Amino acid sequence: MDSVLRAAVMYAALMVLFKIAGRRSLAELTTFDFVLLMIIGEATQQALLGDDFSMTNALMVIVTLIAIDVGFSLLKLRSQWVSRLIDGGPTIIVEDGRILRGRMRHARLVEADIMEAARSSQGIETLEQIKFAIIERNGKISVIAKEPS
Amino acid sequence: MSDPYEQQDDHRSRQFPVREDMAFQHKVWRFERVGWYVLVLLVVLALLGLFSRGPLSNRELHSDDGSLGVEYQAFHRNGSSNALVIRLKGQPNAVLEVELGGDWLEGFEVQALQPAPMRSAGAGQGMTLWVQADERGQASLHLSLLGDGFGTYHCRIATPRGASVSFNQFIFP
Repeated sequence: MDSVLRAAVMYAALMVLFKIAGRRSLAELTTFDFVLLMIIGEATQQALLGDDFSMTNALMVIVTLIAIDVGFSLLKLRSQWVSRLIDGGPTIIVEDGRILRGRMRHARLVEADIMEAARSSQGIETLEQIKFAIIERNGKISVIAKEPS
Repeated sequence: MSDPYEQQDDHRSRQFPVREDMAFQHKVWRFERVGWYVLVLLVVLALLGLFSRGPLSNRELHSDDGSLGVEYQAFHRNGSSNALVIRLKGQPNAVLEVELGGDWLEGFEVQALQPAPMRSAGAGQGMTLWVQADERGQASLHLSLLGDGFGTYHCRIATPRGASVSFNQFIFP
């Protein structure tokens, strides 16, 4: 019984924590983020398994986690509300070469982040060339270039 | 930056190229902000010892006549071990008797008991120990407790001469 409870509680706790961290937090994986992710994994593993290293326990934890995950994706199909709550929605942060400052500040981004995404995905050099920059649900910034006139 | 037009523009939901819901997005951002404060609060509380080992958790109790003292942790975590120290005062070189009662043995596993008592016996839910005092009449018992329960457990330590202390310990999951 406790392996199912452990997995469910840890799933819920991690979900809330990563919601607090925001969608950007692990979208662009730097070397440090990678190390951080491994440490989080290590700490979680202890809590998930406790002092029971049996195969049954490990399998029950995995089965519970996958069951919750599939359950949520089924729920997302049925309910728009749940889908938005779990995945969030996209947000426009540059519109016709103009940065929406308030939104950018709330999303904890700086102009350099947007320009970096613009350069790497579209080869854009200046802000004026951007038609739209959008923070996607997964935290990545997608950039749409202005058509050359 | 706080230009009212700009602020209003920030709140306006666009329909192209993506469908936005800025009211919801602002709720998300507020949740992130409040969540950050909660995380900081948790870190501070952990530093203070709400989750064992810290000023909030280290406790010391003495019986009214001063012949019995105990140092313990008010908060434990399941699976981690902490010390419990019992200090006794009596006649020089006497054998001192102390009873550990309450339901705490259900939530804790005694991993070590130092020095080894001269004699021990079960007593109700708990146990009675006899320890040898030194030439100043002092004796101390160091217990290493491994928390393996969850919730509040009561402990009552008493000597036959009427000195007693009782306290609760909470074990986090």
